[in-house]
Amino acid sequence: MSPLAARIVEELRATPRHFAEVVEVHPDVAWRDLLKAWGEVRAAGVLGREDDGRYRIGQ
Amino acid sequence: MKQGFREFLAALEGAGELKHLKKPVDPRHLSALAAQAKEATLFESIVGYSDWRAAGALVSTRKRLALAMGCSERDIASRFESGIRNPIDARLVKDGPCQEVVWEGDRADLTSIPIPLMHVKDGGPYISATLVVSKDPEYGRNVGSYRMMYRTPQETGIDLVSPSDMRLYYQRALDQKRPLPIAVAIGVHPYEMLAASYKAPIDVDELAIAGGLHGAPVELVKCRTVDLEVPADAELVLEGELLPIGWTADEGPFGEFSHITGDVKWNPLFRVTCITHRRDPIFYMLQMPWENDWLAAPVIEAAGLQALRVASVQPVAIRAPIGGCCYWTLVASIKKRPGEGKNALLALLSVAEVKLAIVTDDDINIYDPDELDWAMTFRVQADHDVLVIPGARGKHIDPSVKAWALGKGGLPTTAKLGIDATIPEGVPRSQYERIRYFAKDAVRLEDYL
Repeated sequence: MSPLAARIVEELRATPRHFAEVVEVHPDVAWRDLLKAWGEVRAAGVLGREDDGRYRIGQ
Repeated sequence: MKQGFREFLAALEGAGELKHLKKPVDPRHLSALAAQAKEATLFESIVGYSDWRAAGALVSTRKRLALAMGCSERDIASRFESGIRNPIDARLVKDGPCQEVVWEGDRADLTSIPIPLMHVKDGGPYISATLVVSKDPEYGRNVGSYRMMYRTPQETGIDLVSPSDMRLYYQRALDQKRPLPIAVAIGVHPYEMLAASYKAPIDVDELAIAGGLHGAPVELVKCRTVDLEVPADAELVLEGELLPIGWTADEGPFGEFSHITGDVKWNPLFRVTCITHRRDPIFYMLQMPWENDWLAAPVIEAAGLQALRVASVQPVAIRAPIGGCCYWTLVASIKKRPGEGKNALLALLSVAEVKLAIVTDDDINIYDPDELDWAMTFRVQADHDVLVIPGARGKHIDPSVKAWALGKGGLPTTAKLGIDATIPEGVPRSQYERIRYFAKDAVRLEDYL
């Protein structure tokens, strides 16, 4: 997993977030790099969802 | 000659309805900027995507939809009906600009496309302007429009919850534990999008309806990795398959056509096998909710006209107002005979999920909200002219049906409201004689300035 993807995992482990909130934490990351990192997080199968749509780590 | 996406952009330009944004824009900001423009927007430069441009909010108003349909704003329903009545079969051609660039296998990477983040609670970046083609061995080709949420470079979610022909095709494939191949064309003329949003009978090819609207066949090319055909002049095509996993993957929320944030849904996954596009592609971002709503208007208005005619009521004009998301409300004026105000209401309230119908006489301009208010004020007695029909079929995304209280799989019902704003039986028309100014035609204001 890339350092950016690992950071996103740790951030979500600390606080469930909407995708837009994940984006807001990384305003300077190129959009394509962010999408790739998000794809890594998705592919790792670690994401769960809160009822309101926020992402969390764990099912 | 069939018009394409770029011809429509040119038509918008010619009508002064296209704003060019020349400064580089991050994909994070495409939707917010399109929402601030009065015109449709063409983004000439996308940060990190040097080969791409993007367009949005192309049919965000009735005026621009009418421009796409080559008719007046009042004629969009009858124009759409003519396309349904006079279908022209699509035609296969050898090649097309949508395949000028081809990326297959691992090189088919969704992150190479400037997929935008649109709304604050969306589950991810969304591809909103899709024309999804699928095929069933028995029923043939189907074309629909389904939102797709970016997940990984080769995978998206797809909203396949609502009943549709493609949902049926997917279920049939799923029963056989096989994937359903699909192809997704993005950046096509609004006629193709309109045809895709029309719930045609299962044996009717929506692309033939698009051909009927164009007055010429839609030209198709064969896909590279799936046995399907797509419009040759599309800007971008995603080929792949819906995985046989059923409704098991989280998808959403998304800013719905009801102007409300939706819920997380459970849906299938789309796995990409190939991406093709033009050499200088334009990514089309369907701006929610306005474009989705206006693309529904001709369909729901045409259904209203049809329902009135079946009820032997003569329609004069019909309108699906944007306040009802061009879906839940129908307003019609009719040439009324006794009792037909109520007959017209019953007909209009039978259309899909329409939950508010208003009927007026033909002397009322239903496009003028003040005229409509006037008719509802002076031609309505609430104890005689208001119908409430309880327990009709509702739609989940209407919060007032309290779908969340129904439990998983529960189907909501709704009450429907009809207002007969025609002149009541027994009231002479002369009671409604409008005031007229003395000497109105004898003097002119400009002569006194």
